Amino acid sequence: MTDTDQTTPPQEAEPNKPVALNANDPLGEVWVFCELQEGKVQTVGLELLGAGRQLADKLDRPLAAVVLGHNLGEIPRQLIHHGADKVYKADHPDLAEYRTLPFRRVLCDFMGQQAIPPHSMLLGSTTTGRDLAPRIAAHFQTGLTADTTELDIGPYDHKGGSDASKIGLYENCLYAIRPSFGESLKARILGPWKNPQMATTRPGVMIPLDPDPSRTGEVVDMPVHLQPADFRLTIAETVREATAGVDFDNADVIVAGGYGLANADGFALMKELADCFENGTVGASRKAVDLGWIPYVHQVGQTGKTVRPKIYIACGISGAIQHRVGMQNSGLIIAINKDPDAPIFKFADHGIVGDLYQVVPEMIKQIKSSKGSKEVSSVGV
Amino acid sequence: MTNSAVKDVFVMIKQVPDTRSKAGLNPDGTINRAQAKRMLNPFDEYALQAALNVKKQTGCRVTAITMGPPPAIEILYTALEHGADRCYLLSDRRLAASDTLATAFALWKTIEHLNGFQMIFCGLQTTDGDTAQVGPQLAERLNLPQVTYCEDFEVVGDKLHARRVVEGGWQRVVSELPVMVTVANSYHPLEFKSLRGARMVQELMRNEALRSQYITTVDLDVVGADPDLTGLKGSPTIVAKTDKVGSIGGNCAMHQGQAVEALVREVTLQTNLLEFAS
Ligand SMILES: Cc1cc2nc3c(=O)[nH]c(=O)nc-3n(C[C@H](O)[C@H](O)[C@H](O)COP(=O)(O)OP(=O)(O)OC[C@H]3O[C@@H](n4cnc5c(N)ncnc54)[C@H](O)[C@@H]3O)c2cc1C
Repeated sequence: MTDTDQTTPPQEAEPNKPVALNANDPLGEVWVFCELQEGKVQTVGLELLGAGRQLADKLDRPLAAVVLGHNLGEIPRQLIHHGADKVYKADHPDLAEYRTLPFRRVLCDFMGQQAIPPHSMLLGSTTTGRDLAPRIAAHFQTGLTADTTELDIGPYDHKGGSDASKIGLYENCLYAIRPSFGESLKARILGPWKNPQMATTRPGVMIPLDPDPSRTGEVVDMPVHLQPADFRLTIAETVREATAGVDFDNADVIVAGGYGLANADGFALMKELADCFENGTVGASRKAVDLGWIPYVHQVGQTGKTVRPKIYIACGISGAIQHRVGMQNSGLIIAINKDPDAPIFKFADHGIVGDLYQVVPEMIKQIKSSKGSKEVSSVGV
Repeated sequence: MTNSAVKDVFVMIKQVPDTRSKAGLNPDGTINRAQAKRMLNPFDEYALQAALNVKKQTGCRVTAITMGPPPAIEILYTALEHGADRCYLLSDRRLAASDTLATAFALWKTIEHLNGFQMIFCGLQTTDGDTAQVGPQLAERLNLPQVTYCEDFEVVGDKLHARRVVEGGWQRVVSELPVMVTVANSYHPLEFKSLRGARMVQELMRNEALRSQYITTVDLDVVGADPDLTGLKGSPTIVAKTDKVGSIGGNCAMHQGQAVEALVREVTLQTNLLEFAS
């Protein structure tokens, strides 16, 4: 509740309804954790700033980007251009690469020092965000919702439950909305009793703002006081392949190949099918990428790209959850798999049970001949 | 073998509704928990195998721990069949409706109640909650370093050398013990159960005295956990509302049992695939 709300005449409150509680009073800021990879802000952080901007505007509170790294340079300004009112930064050699314990130390120390805890905190559902968020949530014993697909602010009237101290009408709750039970239900998860109300969000779900170079904001340093116990884990080596080079965004059709291709040459067939389309691109499962059959830029899924083509053709891909989250929002999913019980048939729209080495060439043939007939008929007209 | 730094390994496992079989699924794809069959969370199979691999390497003792209603003992039998040495079932009505934080609290108390450990393995996530949060929340309570998304590892002296998945590739890390590890589903699949284990479990199911040597059931009082900090009361989040979302999944038009030409023809006729041809 804000001060102005308190001037609301009491008679406007509905009878039998308790007055709004002050759990959120005074309202804290909205914090967005912006993760870096090799010194660059990851898109998911910019997407979360876009989502966080809307939450902050509804709450009428500042939006703060939180960034930890080394030699941050222009990054704070970039975050302000993407919607942050404030940037909390920690710039330190020991933070050059993400590690759970040092990041957790800096963030928990800093958050613990705030007179008013942040209202909410958003992180990406990445291997970093999902590693860090539960640590912070457990440290402050606050609520955390994983893999949200929508976020909003609104009231919540908690009527029952075994704990009388929780009953009440809560204003300005974070609505953390996520799919559940095999994605056929959407659950709205709330935790208004304790701030920050935390959520992680999958990459590719929220929309970043267009950068506005005229935006200004405040940059605040977070103190870094690491302890010996924070160095119990060291990184020996990180290997990442390039992440740019394939244009999935403008592809109408993505033809993706998996372990069922059995060898790298199978991707020539994937390319042949993709080339039958005006805007066709080749995708891949992680297993195919890990085997070196095709570069990482083609990988679709949790640790690859999130894609939404009009048509996704999955060939020899079993449909593991981590692949699914990257392609389930495609307009139409056609799966080709020789195993009728393959999990991908649980969420595909059309399933062809068969050997992809027979099905795909046949598909190429039929598409090519249809093209022929199209041309013939247009000549006829 | 016996002088390894690793003497005790814990593996945290959970029983979930069996979504692989059709029984217990409502027509709209939601779970009918009363009727659903139950199974070991598939992600936990990898965690169990990880613990058993450490046992192979070091000769350590493997303790499987689960929290759930009494039927969850079934997955402890599974763990024993595969080679776990002892099991704990934390079962208490007051745990109902625990969210991940409250679950991690109760498991933390259970672990504290037992003697020390050098490694804790958790599955990556569960198929019914899908959050991947409990492992790191437990690590926070225990003040441990953690390796999440672990695909492969080896105990070298008193250190864990592990490989974890990251965006665009992988990372090799070295951690001190004790450590909490969440095992990715790209780790080695669970091996077949041993004949010896299977026989022993057959015996256990009949013989209560023997069973109690391998499986200990505890409640919140035994492990000394404040009931207000777990269950519904101890959960900072609540599912306030669920909406059905159209028809995601379950409606796949299957094309099979005909000549390939006919199968493909069906798909090109029933979809707009040809519209995008160049
Ligand atoms: C943290 C983490 C992140 C991950 N991120 C990703 C990610 O971003 N993207 C991703 O894809 N995976 C990811 N994975 C891996 C994922 O869990 C699966 O291992 C992977 O998606 C499996 O790839 P696949 O479907 O190609 O192989 P498999 O699961 O082995 O499936 C191969 C399929 O091919 C079928 N098949 C075999 N031969 C034929 C044939 N001749 N014709 C037709 N069908 C055939 C088989 O029936 C089988 O269904 C991740 C895993 C982890 C742990």
